[in-house]
Formats: sequence, structure tokens, C-alpha cells
Amino acid sequence: MIRHILSITASLISALLIVSCGGGEGPPALRLVLQTEPTNLDPASAVDYSSGWVSSLIHSNIVRFEPDGSIEPDLARSWTVSGDGLEYVFHITGGRFSDGGSVTAFDVESSLKRLIAPSTASPRWWVLEPVAGASDFHAGRAGGCSIEARDDSTLVIRLGNRAAHFLSLLAMPAAGIVSPDAADSLGRDYGRRPTGSGPWRLVSWKSGDEIVLERNMFSPEADSGVPRISIRLIPETMTRVAEFEVGNLDLLEIPPAELELWRSAGVRLLSKPELRIVYIGLNNEKPPFDDPRVRRALNMAIDVESVIGHILFGAAEKATGIVPAGLRGSPPPAPLYRYDPAGAVQLLEEAGYPDGFSMEIWQRENPESGRILESVQGFLARVGIDVKIVTREWSAFKQAVDRGTPDAFYLDWFADYPEAGNFLVPLFHSENRGGGGNRAGFADEAVDSILDIASGVSDPAARWEMYAEAEKRVMEAAPWIFLWFPVRYEVVSHRLEGYEIPVIFNGQRFTGVSLR
Amino acid sequence: MGRFITRRLLLLIPILFGVVTVTFIIMYVIPGDPVLSLVGERYDEETLERLRGELGLDRPLALRYIDYLGRVARFDRGRSFVTGRPVMETIRERVPRTLTLAGAAMLIAVGGGMAAGAVAGSGRIPWAGKSLMALTLVGVSIPVFWLGLLLIHLFAIRLEILPPSGYGGGSIRYLVLPALTLSFASMATVARVTRAGFLEAGSEDFVRTARAKGLGEGTVMGKHVFRNALIPVVTIVGTDFGSYLGGSVLTESIFGWPGLGRLIVQSILKRDFPVIQGSVLFMAILFVLVNLIVDISYGFIDPRIREGGGEE
Repeated sequence: MIRHILSITASLISALLIVSCGGGEGPPALRLVLQTEPTNLDPASAVDYSSGWVSSLIHSNIVRFEPDGSIEPDLARSWTVSGDGLEYVFHITGGRFSDGGSVTAFDVESSLKRLIAPSTASPRWWVLEPVAGASDFHAGRAGGCSIEARDDSTLVIRLGNRAAHFLSLLAMPAAGIVSPDAADSLGRDYGRRPTGSGPWRLVSWKSGDEIVLERNMFSPEADSGVPRISIRLIPETMTRVAEFEVGNLDLLEIPPAELELWRSAGVRLLSKPELRIVYIGLNNEKPPFDDPRVRRALNMAIDVESVIGHILFGAAEKATGIVPAGLRGSPPPAPLYRYDPAGAVQLLEEAGYPDGFSMEIWQRENPESGRILESVQGFLARVGIDVKIVTREWSAFKQAVDRGTPDAFYLDWFADYPEAGNFLVPLFHSENRGGGGNRAGFADEAVDSILDIASGVSDPAARWEMYAEAEKRVMEAAPWIFLWFPVRYEVVSHRLEGYEIPVIFNGQRFTGVSLR
Repeated sequence: MGRFITRRLLLLIPILFGVVTVTFIIMYVIPGDPVLSLVGERYDEETLERLRGELGLDRPLALRYIDYLGRVARFDRGRSFVTGRPVMETIRERVPRTLTLAGAAMLIAVGGGMAAGAVAGSGRIPWAGKSLMALTLVGVSIPVFWLGLLLIHLFAIRLEILPPSGYGGGSIRYLVLPALTLSFASMATVARVTRAGFLEAGSEDFVRTARAKGLGEGTVMGKHVFRNALIPVVTIVGTDFGSYLGGSVLTESIFGWPGLGRLIVQSILKRDFPVIQGSVLFMAILFVLVNLIVDISYGFIDPRIREGGGEE
């Protein structure tokens, strides 16, 4: 009997190994990976990073971002803007949906109106908020708004107020153009079976496993570059690393903790400063954080450079301002807060806290932020502040922070589009307190009015000057503990050529890359 | 036997009612809001309200509960809040993959575990028995994520004979490492229990009788000892298999295996109530059925249980 069992086991194992020796090779594909699975590829519903990223490969927009963040024509081959900056006329031509249909200005009108329409209930409708009548249309007080196709190739959009960043908004994933026929007939299933006019079309989506895209054969540049993209869905960092190591991936983002390892491994390592700021938001409406002296003291108590060096292995730049270097019209300001624990103690004394106080800093579950906050905890202990780190998973964290429950919270902010205003307005305009982005609850009338005026100024240099003024005021008020701008690192396989890390996450559409 | 099965199946109703109610309550007690996963980083209250209305989350809790019970009774699991996909479609896609992984792991656990246990329990090769038992101690104590990464490193990166992760469209090459990882702890338990069963049965009267009437050692071991050792093994297999259906989250995450465990964790993180409810209910049904099969199989393995039951 024992012999029997042993022989069965042995034959099972050998059978597995024999089968395992055969490996299939598919058609040439660019092999990418995502940590989290997209939830919905409908531009109107795609709110998370993965969904927006994949959706942007499938849908084209009126204009698009290049990898360097500049705006290029997409469906609109050209456009004109009226003297008052309110009327945009786009000449839509040449685009074709992946089902073969031509993209007309009427399709673009219908697709953009679908994003705003109350029946769509899109959380991203605000992308088109500057359009005249959009708010009334969205609230159900009007039957439409100022987006109008004059003929098959002419689209006219009228804005309610000047918005210098309007073209950037049109390049965001949410403003992707959907095939009206497909969207109508599929309804809520459109997010699973999208039809766009982008360079790629969805071939298969195996939930939790892999998404496969092929070139949209009707797109103008269909013959060049890679014919196929495979996007694996792997939640574990170590597993993604293993897949890259065995040569199953062409591209992989590297967490800072792995950086040293890869630097010495002789692989192609790319890096780019991100349009992202990492900060600890302080609850400006809650004592003792309603006192600017306390907030300044917290900024002086932490040696940000040392945290960057020891925990992030240098993969970040200290934030001496709020707007990342890539979006500034002038060099970053000199640091307003230097590491000065004695000065911090003195400020706390002046504010009436000679013995310090205790506070909570909330974070969402993430091993890296845990290490960072432990070091922050150590620095603050030296000035008499007793920090308790509270960890919640994303949903509970977000709910608490948006309601203003925690004393402080560790968070970051990504640019949706490459504009200084995309940092300052959502993060510090008092209208955006809470879920609008200003989660610290910062309110300053002077800052509000500068930001209101700046967004209508079309001259970039003049606009930047106003933004720089607003930034200076915010830095002085210290609503946050300002931390850093991260640098993104990616390793690239030896066969991939022509790839560049995009400045904006949907700025790389993989049409210009090739495989050796 | 027929009455026994019917009674157990009828028992499913109160059990499932309990499962449905408990999951419903837990979901509304824990902090977090499903609409927050739908709106991204920037939103206004008006959008939240609109989405709450759309998803029916603005109605009183009791009403939602009654409504939900009604839908369960009609086998209507609804659509995911997050993806908008019908819940049953998502579950149907995941279940075969989870069953494949759980089945393969069970096969390895039972095959490997009983072989090792038999070798150790028969006492024929003492050194092999001792080292196998030491190995099982490692097996029950090793953390799954560590074992998984170790296997990936050995078989995929060093030896390059198996892929590190993925489903591979159902190819058996992709199944080997996750199944081995998942099976390891069960294999060790099965080995230890089999060995104990062998040792215990070896000193029983009926074994002595079998030997006394001149049966060959192979027949004694195979027909008498082995069969007796099988009963506790079946119990372990039953409970472990049940837990594999939903508890293999770690293995599924490490190997990027698109199973039910990962689906449930993702939907809990996003507070995707319909998917959580649907899959928990589904797993509860499977769990009860597997246990029923285990109970029935006792009768086939051991005639004493069948006759002692006196149901037929």
C-alpha cells in the first residue's frame, strides 16, 4: 500500500514537471503590470489610477498630453480661441472608433454632454465645470450646456468664465470620447466593454489576471510600434519584482526601499520627479493646530532631509514650496522652515504649550508610510509632542479625514493636469475644504481671492506670479507639515526602446515605443 | 441516509439566514463609505448624495435589509457598486479558479501527507519516518507568504522551470507553485494524523486478528490499518478544503491568482456591499455542502458509523 501511494505521488509529480517544461510564446507584446485592477474603463466612471490609465489608452480626447506634459492635438487637429478667452472652436477630423466608425464633432458633443448629464452621475463631471451652463445642466436645471457641433468637423465650446487650464482639463481621462452608439446600447456595461478612438482597443479583460489591448486598426498611427499590450494584474510587490527578474515584464516601478538593489544590478533604471507632493495635513480648525505658531513649530521639529535620506534612500526632493519644480515659473523658494528643534520648542512655549501636547497622526495601511511616520513620531517626541499613529484602511481613513476627525493625516496629492493651479486651488481654496481636496480645512480670504483671479489670467508669466504669491502666503501659514516631492523610478527591460516616464500619468500612450 | 441528507440540506436555510444577517450588520457597523471609493480624490457633497441615491444607500437600514432578503430569496445578487458588473457574473468567473487551486492543493496535501504519514507510521524505515515528522513540524509552522516567495525564488528565478505568478489561462504550470504553497500546512497535518492513525490501528485487536489469520503485511496495512487511519484525514480535508475556498487570500495575492479570496478582500476594502454579500453567501453554501459530503463519506469508509447511525 505504501509503495502504491508513493508511486502515485511520484507519477503525479513527474506528470506536473513534464507538463511544466512546455512554454508557449504569444505574439509580440509589450508586457506591463498594474498593482490594482481597474474598476471601470468608462471615462465618466474611471476615478482610480488604474482605471484612468487604461481608459486613456483606449479613448482619445480632443487634445492629449505628451510624455513631457505638453498639450498636443488629438481628435482636434487645430483650434482657435476667441479674444475674450471664452470661445473655443475645435476642428475635429481623422479620428475613428475601434468599431470602424468615424468620430464626428457630433460624437464629441454627445460624449462630453454625457459626462455632465445628471443621469450619468459621473463623479468626474467637474472636469467640464468651466463650460457655460454646465453646472445648471448637471444639477438638472437646464437641458444642456454650451457644447455644440456646428457640422461634422466643427465643435464650439463656450466657457462661463475664463479658464486658462481648460485645454488641460480636456486632456484628462474623464474627457475621453466614447462611441455614443456603444455607450447607449451597453449602458452600465460600457465600463467593461469600451469603444474609443484611442490607439488601443480592449481585446480581453480577465478579472484579477490580465488585460490585453491591441492596436486600434482604424487609428491613424496603427502600423507603427508594438501591436499588442499585455497588462498583468499583480497585487504583491515582491511577485512583480520576480516577474521582472525572470524577464516577463518590460517595465516596473521600483519602490524606494528596493532602489539600492537595482542600482547595483546593472539594469536600465529611469527616473523622473513626480508632479506629486507628500504632506502631513494638520486639522486647521481644531486646537492646538488652529494656531499658526504651533503649525510652524511642527515644521521646524522634523528633519525632512534626514527622512528622505534614510527612509526614501534619496528618492525625493524636500518641499520648500507646494508647486513641484516642473510646474514653476521660477526656481523653488529658499526653505522657510529649517530643522531647528530648539526654535520649535520656543515657538510652542510662545503658543502656550511649554510642556508640548499629544496628537494623533492618521495613515492608511502602507508599510512605507509606517516607517516614515515612526521617524516623524521620534522627531516630534524630542520637542515634547507625543504622537500616536492611527492606521485605517483606505475607505475608513478617507471618511474620517474628509469629516475632519483626525488631528493630522499623512497624505499626498497628484497633479491631474500639469498646472500650478491644480495644486494650489483644490488644496488651499476654502471652497474646496473636505472632499474637494483642502482636507486640512485651510481658509484665508487673501489666498482665495488671489487664486480666483489667477485662474482667469491667460498670460502664463503673470499667472505664475500670482500663484507664487499665494504659495508664499500658504507656506507662511503652514497648514501642513510640508514633506517632499517624490521621484519615480522605473526599471526597463533591455528590449524596450523609446519609452519615457510621463510627467502626467496618462501622458504615455505607448505609440512611440518599440521592442528590439 | 436520504432523510439525513434532506435534514442537513434544510438546515442550510437557517444557516444562510444567519450568514446573510451577520454580514449585513457587520458591513454597516464598520467605518467607511462605499460611495467614497467611487468618487476619487476630489468630490463634492452633492455628488456623494447623488451616488448614494443611485445605489439605494440613502434609504433606512431596515428597508435595505428587507429588500436584500427579498433579493437573496429570488437569487438576485445585484450589481457591484464599484464596477457595475452583475455580482453573479463576477463570482462565476472566479469560482472555477478557486476550486481548481483548492482541489489541486487538496490532492497534494492528501497524496503527499498520507504517503509521508504511512512511511512514518509503519515504522519500516525509521530514519525516513523521523525526518518526515521533523519536516511536518516545519510545514505546520511556516508562514504562507514566506513559503510562497521562497518557492518563487527557487523554481522561477533560480531553476527557471515554473512561472512566478499568474493564471496562465488554466495551464497546469501556473498551478504548481500556488497549489504547493497552499497545500503545505495541510500536508503536514495530514501526515501527522495519518502516522498517529497507523500507530493506533497497529495495536488494535482486529489488526492482530488479521495478522493471526495469515494475511500478508501489505493486505493488513492496506485493508485494515489504512482504512482506519483515513477517518481523521477526511475530517481535516473537509474543514481545510472549506477554508481554502475563502481563506487562500495570501496565496492568491502572492501568486496573482484570480480567485474568490482576492475578490472578497478587494470588495471589503472598497466597501462593495453587493459583491461582499454575494460571495460570502456563496462560500457559506459551499462550506456547508463540503461538510455534508464529509459526513456522508464517513459512512462509506467505516461501516461502524454507517450501522451505528441507524438512519436507514
